[in-house]
Amino acid sequence: MGRSRVKSPWILHFDTGSCNGCDIETWALLTPRYDLERFGVLNEANPKHADVLLVTGPVTKKVEDRLRNLYAQMPEPRVVIAVGNCASTGSPFDDCYNVNGGIDRVLPVDVYIPGCAARPEAIIDGIVLGLRKWRERKFAAHDGTQPSKETEMQEASR
Amino acid sequence: METILFILAPIAVGLILGIDRKVTAHMQNRVGPPIIQPFYDLVKLFGKRTMVMNNGQIIFAVSCLVFQALALALLVNEGDLLVVFFLSGAGSVSLVLGAFSAGSPYSFYGSQRELLQILAYEPVLLLVILLIGYDQGTLTVSKLNGSMLPGLGLAALSLVLVLVIKLQKSPYDVATAHQEIVSGPYVEYSGPYLGVTKLAHWFELAIVLGILTLLFWNANSAISIGGKVLLVAAAIFATQVIDNASARLTRGRMVRFTLFAGIALIAVNMLGVYLSKQGVI
Repeated sequence: MGRSRVKSPWILHFDTGSCNGCDIETWALLTPRYDLERFGVLNEANPKHADVLLVTGPVTKKVEDRLRNLYAQMPEPRVVIAVGNCASTGSPFDDCYNVNGGIDRVLPVDVYIPGCAARPEAIIDGIVLGLRKWRERKFAAHDGTQPSKETEMQEASR
Repeated sequence: METILFILAPIAVGLILGIDRKVTAHMQNRVGPPIIQPFYDLVKLFGKRTMVMNNGQIIFAVSCLVFQALALALLVNEGDLLVVFFLSGAGSVSLVLGAFSAGSPYSFYGSQRELLQILAYEPVLLLVILLIGYDQGTLTVSKLNGSMLPGLGLAALSLVLVLVIKLQKSPYDVATAHQEIVSGPYVEYSGPYLGVTKLAHWFELAIVLGILTLLFWNANSAISIGGKVLLVAAAIFATQVIDNASARLTRGRMVRFTLFAGIALIAVNMLGVYLSKQGVI
């Protein structure tokens, strides 16, 4: 099971107000030059099918709810990867009135990938690191300590 | 023997889909995933947490799988082709109903398009089966005899049209159009039940490819199996070339072209069969 998981990570890429620098590098991964599909990676564009959430940008206040919404719609186990300096810390936009400053102010983040823009090689390394964590991850049991399906649905509809 | 075939057929389809992804990658100058990639995907999906909109989704996903599995079981047990066709059709409709039950716009739109796909390929598939029945005088698989490929070449060609739609290939992947409506009827399924619908799709493909393999037969079992494999490989390769050489067309053109070309091919073929039965050619 763990092996199949590592061999088949489906990605959801979300831009939370990035300058598109990191986004272009992320898309470059799917081209023949980097060919991420050789590791079984697919860009699914659908949170319900996705396992890995690749987020770029410093999370503007407008997009915050949408990011939570997408995260809530991804079935567990899942991994969140912050791509680039903005997504990791907010970088030049930290302290701006309209920006949260980093994905980790909104969601639990597993891997931070530095760079402005993050290089495709660095993103591949980051995904591999994320997969190592994902392999061991169990999904939360319905024992009340973790958000139940109902609260997640409420969160998703909020 | 039947049990082994019943288990082997979906596994073979999984491998075919893996080879398909590999060959497509090579056509695009990429390396591509390993050929057992579809199995990794399936196992991973079954290991994820269940998230469903309503219980209807579960019922329809499972009934889709059950119908397709029953149809394949009947096919490998050499039953009636017409019953195989209708069971498989019921499975396709289950998928559409499951997508309708989710109440999401993309899912709704995808299932409307899936219905149009069914409208496009089902008549062609039905006519191929009826043509086999006309040629052989029976629709029961166990009573078919001899190789039908020389007489029914154009019918085999029209099955390629069906396969382009069933394999979700350009130009007629209108229901699962990734860039337009994400993944159509599958959009609201996730985790294990997405796996169930994917497995049902493998069974569905096994049925169409199974009908294709019926067309070739030889007294020597090695030649017979080799010919069947070659026939399937040729059909899959044809769909790949079409897929990589074309962009998606509209749903209206899909229905018009598939019905027009498919029925025309079968009509010409039926004329040939009629004339040879009359002893003219």
